[in-house]
Amino acid sequence: MIPVPVPVILSFCAAIFFIGLAGVLIRRNILVVIMSIELMLNAVNLTLVTFSAALDHPHGQMAVFFIIVVAAVESAVGLGLVIALFRTMRTVDTDQIQLLKG
Amino acid sequence: MEPITLTPPPAFGLTAQQLAWLTPYFFVLGGSCLALLLSVYEATKPSISVPATIILAFLGGIATTLPLIEQPPTLLFGGMLIADGFTAYANILFLISAAAVTFFSRRYLLNQDLEHTEFYTLIALSALGMMIMAASTDLVMIFLGLELMSISVYVLVGFRRNDRRSNEAGIKYYILGSAASAVMLYGAALFFGATGTTNVQVGAIRAIQMGMGQNALLIAGLLCILIGFLFKIASVPFHMWMPDVYEGAPAPVTGFMTTGLKAAVFITLLRVFSSMVSVPALSPQAMEAFQNVLWVSAALTMFLGNVAALQQTNIKRMLAYSSIAHSGYLLVGLLAGPQSHDGFSAVLFYVVIYTIMNLGAFAVVSAIAQKGDTGLELNDLSGLSAKHPGLAFLLAVFLFSMAGIPPTAGFTAKYYLFYSAIQAGQVWLVVLAVLCSAIGAYYYLRVIVQLYMREAIAGSPLQNWKPSRAAVTTALAAVILVLQLGIYPAPALKMLRLGPAEAPAGGAPAEAPGH
Repeated sequence: MIPVPVPVILSFCAAIFFIGLAGVLIRRNILVVIMSIELMLNAVNLTLVTFSAALDHPHGQMAVFFIIVVAAVESAVGLGLVIALFRTMRTVDTDQIQLLKG
Repeated sequence: MEPITLTPPPAFGLTAQQLAWLTPYFFVLGGSCLALLLSVYEATKPSISVPATIILAFLGGIATTLPLIEQPPTLLFGGMLIADGFTAYANILFLISAAAVTFFSRRYLLNQDLEHTEFYTLIALSALGMMIMAASTDLVMIFLGLELMSISVYVLVGFRRNDRRSNEAGIKYYILGSAASAVMLYGAALFFGATGTTNVQVGAIRAIQMGMGQNALLIAGLLCILIGFLFKIASVPFHMWMPDVYEGAPAPVTGFMTTGLKAAVFITLLRVFSSMVSVPALSPQAMEAFQNVLWVSAALTMFLGNVAALQQTNIKRMLAYSSIAHSGYLLVGLLAGPQSHDGFSAVLFYVVIYTIMNLGAFAVVSAIAQKGDTGLELNDLSGLSAKHPGLAFLLAVFLFSMAGIPPTAGFTAKYYLFYSAIQAGQVWLVVLAVLCSAIGAYYYLRVIVQLYMREAIAGSPLQNWKPSRAAVTTALAAVILVLQLGIYPAPALKMLRLGPAEAPAGGAPAEAPGH
């Protein structure tokens, strides 16, 4: 089996990361935005694992465990905030959430 | 790229000195765990016992940090954390800010029907995150501290959970904050890929050894990290979240965000930036490009922050824009730091003064705030001096200080900051900063005009109320410090110069060659 060259994997990670970033900036549904944030974090994880394998150094894989934990905590808090928001506003569409501006 | 040998980390057994450095962390962590237990144990009257526990934990943390200021720098956990005078000062600053916010928010929470004791625990955990972040030299540790700090504050911002504005502010902060953390983390991953380590100082030294001054991976990584930091301190063009979040969050939380949170992010940025400067890992061209990015960002931040603040009618929102403007001044100091005589001590002095005056201002704002944070429009404040002369005077002193008018500490801080920038040759930036401060004086003085020279309007939400004693005490303490540091700043300046000026760069784990 021919191993996939590292730059290819890294480009793939970068593509996923920027898809996630675009999702955060463009999508209007907050749940989709939270999914996009997860996508960004997972692209980072994949990047770290790739570098870890390429450099033969376990530090990157160690960092991934921390990131997975933090990502889980972060989405738990985020979903909690979405539920609180939905209770008062009856919507999760960012276009309709515009009380604060100026 | 050559394979990198893995050096085994030192044993995890801690020496007595290292244990002494960790004591404040244990205090805060232990305090917040204890507070969580007490909050479900009705017999202890959680509404009193929980804030008392947390404040005692903070005071314990401060008391155990004070003797460490003069101690030699130590590395903790295999170089993940660095404990030096800089860390000690930063920890004291965060703990004071958190303790003050805890102290004056109890009455506020009671008045607003928000009495949930988790509030205090979240403040404590957030302070713990700041302490970890400001002490870390490793990008993974910075990320963990940052997230512990931010996630607690996401919840605090949305704490008034039946209020639409608070919910909206919470979700906005959450989304933009998490995205910024992810960008910063991607930068850390690229940094790891380029240098084979996530430790900032070790990475910088390796970059020199391997001649990576123009390495695209390293530059992209550092740029992503810088963007993450600029976002967290709300500098233009990453500032748009801040006014909304500051307006929607409960007043003491806004106070906590302008003081502790901002100081923590800025101090960490200072540490990372100074280790990049002291070890010239990047080529001069790349370094200059980074400085140009900071230059433009500083100029835009000062200008936009001050101009946008002119049109605000809500005092919390106005202070948010003022906070953006102050980020701009701090960036000027950061840029000037490497070339000026006293290094970064002017920036640190500014951070300390800024924290004190904002704590005071938000203590007053929390005392004024009526149910649902109403009564904070500028019109509502008119004629406040007639009914509450003391409170109006305190607010006026803080506003004078933010505008940088002598004899307040805000003037001294600005003076030293701009002086160090002139020493570093950033003349145009200083000219711009002074012009922006002049614009800024207008909106600060406008509030003072409302307080003192207008009649109270009928139908204002501020009718029959009494300011809480805790908030007034906090503001009084802050006012004394603001005036004392404004009139006689020498001892404080000397203290800050001794420790931190050299520490962030000088206390590197493996000493940098040269410089």
